[in-house]
Amino acid sequence: MFALTELENDALIEIFNIGVGQAAASMSAIVDEPVAMSVPSISFVDRREAARLLDSKDPEAERICGVSQHFEGAFDTQAILMFPEDKSLEIVRLMVGEAVPLKELTEMEQEAMCEIGNIILNSCVGTLANIFHHELHGSLPQYHVGTSDEIMNASGSQPDTVVLMLHIDFVLERHQIRGYVAFVLDVTALHDLKEQINRYIARAMGQE
Amino acid sequence: MTSPKTILIVDDSRVSRMMARNYIGVLHADWNIEEAGSGEEALLKARSVSPDLILMDVNMPGMGGMAAAEQLRQEWPAVPISLLTANVQTATRERAAALGLGFVEKPITEARIATLLATLTAA
Amino acid sequence: MPNSPPEHRLRLLQSVLSAISMGAIVLNPGRRIVLWNSWMQQYSGVTAEQALDQPFLAMLPELQGGRVEMAIHQALSNNFPSLLSQTLNKAPFPLYANALAVERQERIQQAIEVTPIAVAGAERHCLIQINDVSIAVGREKLLREQALVLRSQTFADSLTGIANRRHFDVAIDREHRRARRSGQPLSLLMIDIDHFKPYNDHYGHQKGDQCLIRVAAAMAAILKRPCDLMARYGGEEFGIILPDTDLPQAQRVAEALRSAVQELAIPHGRHSNSQHVTVSIGIATLDLDTQHDIEMLIGAADRALYQAKHAGRNRSISCST
Repeated sequence: MFALTELENDALIEIFNIGVGQAAASMSAIVDEPVAMSVPSISFVDRREAARLLDSKDPEAERICGVSQHFEGAFDTQAILMFPEDKSLEIVRLMVGEAVPLKELTEMEQEAMCEIGNIILNSCVGTLANIFHHELHGSLPQYHVGTSDEIMNASGSQPDTVVLMLHIDFVLERHQIRGYVAFVLDVTALHDLKEQINRYIARAMGQE
Repeated sequence: MTSPKTILIVDDSRVSRMMARNYIGVLHADWNIEEAGSGEEALLKARSVSPDLILMDVNMPGMGGMAAAEQLRQEWPAVPISLLTANVQTATRERAAALGLGFVEKPITEARIATLLATLTAA
Repeated sequence: MPNSPPEHRLRLLQSVLSAISMGAIVLNPGRRIVLWNSWMQQYSGVTAEQALDQPFLAMLPELQGGRVEMAIHQALSNNFPSLLSQTLNKAPFPLYANALAVERQERIQQAIEVTPIAVAGAERHCLIQINDVSIAVGREKLLREQALVLRSQTFADSLTGIANRRHFDVAIDREHRRARRSGQPLSLLMIDIDHFKPYNDHYGHQKGDQCLIRVAAAMAAILKRPCDLMARYGGEEFGIILPDTDLPQAQRVAEALRSAVQELAIPHGRHSNSQHVTVSIGIATLDLDTQHDIEMLIGAADRALYQAKHAGRNRSISCST
């Protein structure tokens, strides 16, 4: 399994923290309440393990809500923001204010979830692209709901892909919600990522 | 030429600290740079090195940057403290203003550090 | 299409842009307006002649610093598209369906996409698409109202009209969390009608129901604050949630309730030590140090209720934890 050194790991987490930090500022402007987001850790797993990470201990709470965007250009990746369905309900209703007391997201709430995903994913990937001086093009967000396996396989099931999982902590109005952002990367993208991180570190040390 | 200063950089990210150290060093090679990896460590370090400027990351586990900055402000009312953050919101901004804390937006760049240090040496 | 002359293609595209039923705005890299279609003209009251070549944010200053500006930046600088949902962004553009809507200042509900577009021979431009989603929004508003009506129906006890056990469970959990956060005292009263089973057996179920209704009404009349919640907890048991209420205050309320029920003077021939229907009340106030979950608070109030029964009924007792 692909792995990074401690320093590379530190650098990548720091970059993503900057990304979600900016996303939090945008979302705070929307709800006019303090919003905090951070990436406490990342891991590299295969698709199956990624799906397992999303499964909760409660067999009742099986569905996951995902918002995906495809990015291409300097590297190619499918990025998916994921929360368990009940957590998605919580986030949307916190952000939107008024709540429809249903167990599922209504169509309009799904659209709001799409926008939240759009803000977070654009911010994360945008920060990465800027720091790595990469040119990328992104797609519009798409909403998915289903089991963790279905969500992870929505982008197709190419072999030799690794998933970079970001563990995300989202805090709004004293609600703390844990979610994930998954980046599906192929071998080329992975090595490019490692190379870019090292160049970033070299710049940090004044060596480039 | 100003006399060498002591700068305390507080950030749980090692790479972030390295970056700040590098950019400060480029502008003032003779300055002394100290590091701390957490709010708690920052309090201990500050007491032993008496910094002229403190750079404090806001998003850290444990005590957190804001809480540490508040405590440091109480012990050293005059030391300039700048918060490092990618997430500047109204509430944070107001709280920082009330405490007399500055801001440096992340990602840390040479330009942003230069601007910050210019205000320090001018004072 | 590829074989027709350029002017024909251009006129064709212009006709299409005029006919489509959604707003299309294009900004150049300098954020000036280079396209403002007929739909935009119709609903904004601004003509293409007035809009073209204007700096976008100068024309719409209210959008400065907001999500639309951020999305434009994402498109032009990062090459990323953005979605602006109608729920998170309430009608950002000043668009009105007709003159009456303008008078009432009722804007069209908008779903917006901001996408980067490549233009041959020039740098990246930005396309803003605006969809009128007023109908969908209206539909969801209706859905929400209907869902709320249904929910209040399922939260009320059908006999007495007061809150039911489900409502109580939801409310006590909410108030418990609020009390922990705010540090304000939370009190709970558990109330049981004394000798209710013998009453029911002797006077019949219809009278039993009436008794419940009258007792519930009398107690509800005592509770003045909107945050106080009285619910039917069980067959002849009631739970009353008193937020921001300390023990002495809760004791006063309990005594007022006990007294109100006694004053109803509902005849009870099968009571051990009274002519009339009475209640026993158990009082507990949340102790933030020892009581970690809501079951402990309810347990404490239940224990106090039990003590009240044992001490002779028609009284209120507080639990000392």
